[in-house]
Amino acid sequence: DQVLRVVAGDGAQLALLQALGDREELQVDFWHGPTKPGHPTDLRVPFRNLQAVKSFLEANDVAYSVMIEDVQELVNEEKRTMTLSRRLERSTDTFDFASYHTIEEIYDWMEALAAEHPDLVTRLQIGQSYEKRPLFVLKFSTGGSGRAAVWLDTGIHAREWITQATGVWTANKIAKEYGKDPTVTAILDNMDIFFEIVANPDGFAYTQSTNRMWRKTRSLNTGSSCIGVDPNRNWDAGFGGPGSSSDPCSETYHGPRAHSEREVSAVADFILRHGGVKALVSLHSYSQMLMYPYGYKAEPAPDRQELDALAAEAVRDLAAVHGTRYTYGSIIDTIYQAAGTTVDWAYERGVRYSYTLELRDTGRYGFLLPAGQIVPTAQETWPALLDIMRHALEHPY
Amino acid sequence: VPGVGHKYYLQFTTEDYRSRDSAGSCLATVLFEQGNSPPAVTISCVDTKDEKQIQEEDNKFYQKIKQQTKPIMANDIPDSYGNIEPALEPVWALAVVGSSKIMWEKSTENLSYSMAQVKSAKQWIRQDDFVEFDYTVLLHEIPTQEMISCHLRVIWLPGHPMKVKHFCASENQWFEETSGMESGSAAGILQEKEQNF
Repeated sequence: DQVLRVVAGDGAQLALLQALGDREELQVDFWHGPTKPGHPTDLRVPFRNLQAVKSFLEANDVAYSVMIEDVQELVNEEKRTMTLSRRLERSTDTFDFASYHTIEEIYDWMEALAAEHPDLVTRLQIGQSYEKRPLFVLKFSTGGSGRAAVWLDTGIHAREWITQATGVWTANKIAKEYGKDPTVTAILDNMDIFFEIVANPDGFAYTQSTNRMWRKTRSLNTGSSCIGVDPNRNWDAGFGGPGSSSDPCSETYHGPRAHSEREVSAVADFILRHGGVKALVSLHSYSQMLMYPYGYKAEPAPDRQELDALAAEAVRDLAAVHGTRYTYGSIIDTIYQAAGTTVDWAYERGVRYSYTLELRDTGRYGFLLPAGQIVPTAQETWPALLDIMRHALEHPY
Repeated sequence: VPGVGHKYYLQFTTEDYRSRDSAGSCLATVLFEQGNSPPAVTISCVDTKDEKQIQEEDNKFYQKIKQQTKPIMANDIPDSYGNIEPALEPVWALAVVGSSKIMWEKSTENLSYSMAQVKSAKQWIRQDDFVEFDYTVLLHEIPTQEMISCHLRVIWLPGHPMKVKHFCASENQWFEETSGMESGSAAGILQEKEQNF
């Protein structure tokens, strides 16, 4: 197929061009239709009709030139560059941290990060979601064996998009700062970091395809038309108590039993098997809070004083970045009573430095935080995370 | 307050919703009497924002909406990515004010709300100067984490108190079944009920 450029000399020639277009059997496709004499008309002509069209133009003294010799070649070239740029997207240097991404984009990016930092980062699969999506964890390790570890997760509640986005930025930051930032280097020289960025992939996919406000998993509940369990009420800590719901239709439904959700049991089993997790931070949004156990009961945690002091420090360092104000305290004092949470479970399994953060904002945009706030949010959360990790490093137990 | 209920003493600052500039401060008491809703409220505020400036901004808002030649119709404000088209900002702002009335009425000692999203906005052109909008808004309920769908009708003219009518779906079972569907169908059901409201 070729694209011809024709300039009609006068009204009569213009009429001829329009007539040419009317002849269906020639299948002439105007890219730039005949408008006025003196103005170019561009027409794509299928290969088999080229001879006929060119003869027609020549016979009528209509001047033309060949603008595109081979349309197919151009199409192929374009396809090549598109595939190439999509591959480049997966390279971490061109990844746009200031926008929200799909699961596929995040998973591809994780693979690229591991490929770019083979001595530091590996992408592990720790299980499968209800709908059989892989549950991936990035392992940051400089080697050693039996090292203490930090567990980080984002995206356990699907609609809290700022968390997955912050997770990606933060994982990138960890990889980039090793060997440069002394704190990151000290941490990674002695401990491993496990980072699950999309802790609830089924829910996340659902927020992108169907309901932006979906929170829970997507598991089917026997005897109910309502779907999903709140993965942050499904842990075996005060399970089923006040601060969770036994109604499958509720957003805080705890599930039929503790760890019934694959997304939860995969993480719980991983942490228990590892045996050396010393700090755990689970990211949520929104409310701007930094909290420690307990959520399920009012009784203060045995390490409350230390946890509170560390929280105060982290919140101060967070505020220093962009002025964002966080409140802090135990979950039950700061936000509300919540039973069966990740953080309470981890704490009761011996992970002393167990924290949960509620990121920006405080309700103006809520879950629909504009992408422009992703990087500032991640930037300010960073020193708070470092404070917690560094404290775990400096206070081994 | 033994035998009566719980009384809260509040001191808080206010800020302009759009510019985030400080707008003043307030002192309030809120008394939740056992079994009584809504609570008894006393409040006194100091406004630092200039009355004339407020009027000017209201008028600018009003003009922006009045300038439209066709009735404004829009969905998902903000969109999934948190974007609000500049032209739709006044529409969103009116929904925020209207929703605050719903939240004022629904809030209890244990339940609080934020406006999560405007699912749909539809303007009704009126013969008089008033601006009228029908909204479907999602209210985020804490601590239940539920998204409550409410139908909101707002009638407004600068210098006049805003008239707000609302109807919220209270059954989370119902909402759950329609959460994946077009807001059009939900609004259809709510429209009917509105006539009797």
